[in-house]
Amino acid sequence: MSLMSGALTVRRFRVVGEDPDGWREIYRDRLQEHAFKDSPVEPGKEEREGWVQVHNLLDTSFEDFDRWLYNDLILVGLRVDKKVLPAKLFKATLAKRIEAWSQENGDQRAPKTVREELRERLEEEWLKRALPRVSVAELCINLTERYAVIDSLSESVAERLRKQVYRTFGFNLVPFSPLDAVNDPSLRDALVNLSPSYVGDPSTSQGVS
Amino acid sequence: MSTTEPTPTPTTLGSEFYLWLWWRSEEEAGRFDVGESGERIELFVDDRLAFRIPGETKVTAVLTGDNASESVEAKAALFGGKILQELRVRLRRDDRDFVVTLKGPEVHLTRVKLPQVLGDNEFEAILDRMSSYDELVWLVGELFTAFGRERASDAWTQDIEPRLRAWVEGSVRG
Repeated sequence: MSLMSGALTVRRFRVVGEDPDGWREIYRDRLQEHAFKDSPVEPGKEEREGWVQVHNLLDTSFEDFDRWLYNDLILVGLRVDKKVLPAKLFKATLAKRIEAWSQENGDQRAPKTVREELRERLEEEWLKRALPRVSVAELCINLTERYAVIDSLSESVAERLRKQVYRTFGFNLVPFSPLDAVNDPSLRDALVNLSPSYVGDPSTSQGVS
Repeated sequence: MSTTEPTPTPTTLGSEFYLWLWWRSEEEAGRFDVGESGERIELFVDDRLAFRIPGETKVTAVLTGDNASESVEAKAALFGGKILQELRVRLRRDDRDFVVTLKGPEVHLTRVKLPQVLGDNEFEAILDRMSSYDELVWLVGELFTAFGRERASDAWTQDIEPRLRAWVEGSVRG
């Protein structure tokens, strides 16, 4: 799924916040500041995230406006990398190492500190070899209409993007309600306060009022 | 609207909207009037309906395939007290076709098929695609507003709700 092609599945938000004077350059610099960056050292288990171009998740430069700004539309991706170890294999390998330590040292059971040290060493060893699990959530902000869409319905993805958008642009992304499409405030208020209407047969319903 | 608070939305309003679309599309042969000018568009239920039990979020019944909305099972789900969680619809405005699955109380637009992109290059293609998306959002918003006017009126309880019940019961009881 993508905002750029194919079938579209989106979660929509209202954008609350003002664009500063000179916003094009300011947003370019902020995107660059919060762009995805390769770690100078081999990353551990921690997540790493940052903006990328939607064209290719390895493109992390925002110097060229034509790659992320389309008139009044900002189109970018939020890349998240996380290294995940195969839990069952890790647990089994650790058990073998603890067993080997016990045999070498003539102990029935390795002390807790030793077990912990072996676990940390194995984890470090494996994380160096592991490739990260990479995900990219695409975001489009319409600066004129003050809305944003992301290509996911996931709550956790939405929350991550809301935080990163606030850090980068200073915008609040407010979840869209179908009632936001109703322009008449009195009609909107009336709809908010309605009791549910059901058409099912009360004698056969499950939880129908 | 500049508030940072989300607009409170009754959890069953989306389901009622989907039911109203389905019923109206059958009653009016797919004809809906939208916008201030009363522009005529067409809307038909497509190949997917998903139901849930009120008060829950999990889908408990899904009907798919050609003429899913015309099946007895679809009306039986309503008759049994379930409400719509998803409705896939096909909209036509002039010669432009949109297909979308409306989902959940938030009326998310999912699995959207937009009219063919006309742009010659990437820049124009993206603008054209997002413009089509805006058009779809506008259409759904107009339909929701039309539903809202009926839903908030006295006619809902006095006329529309009884007709909806009769429509459901008539299909199930034959």
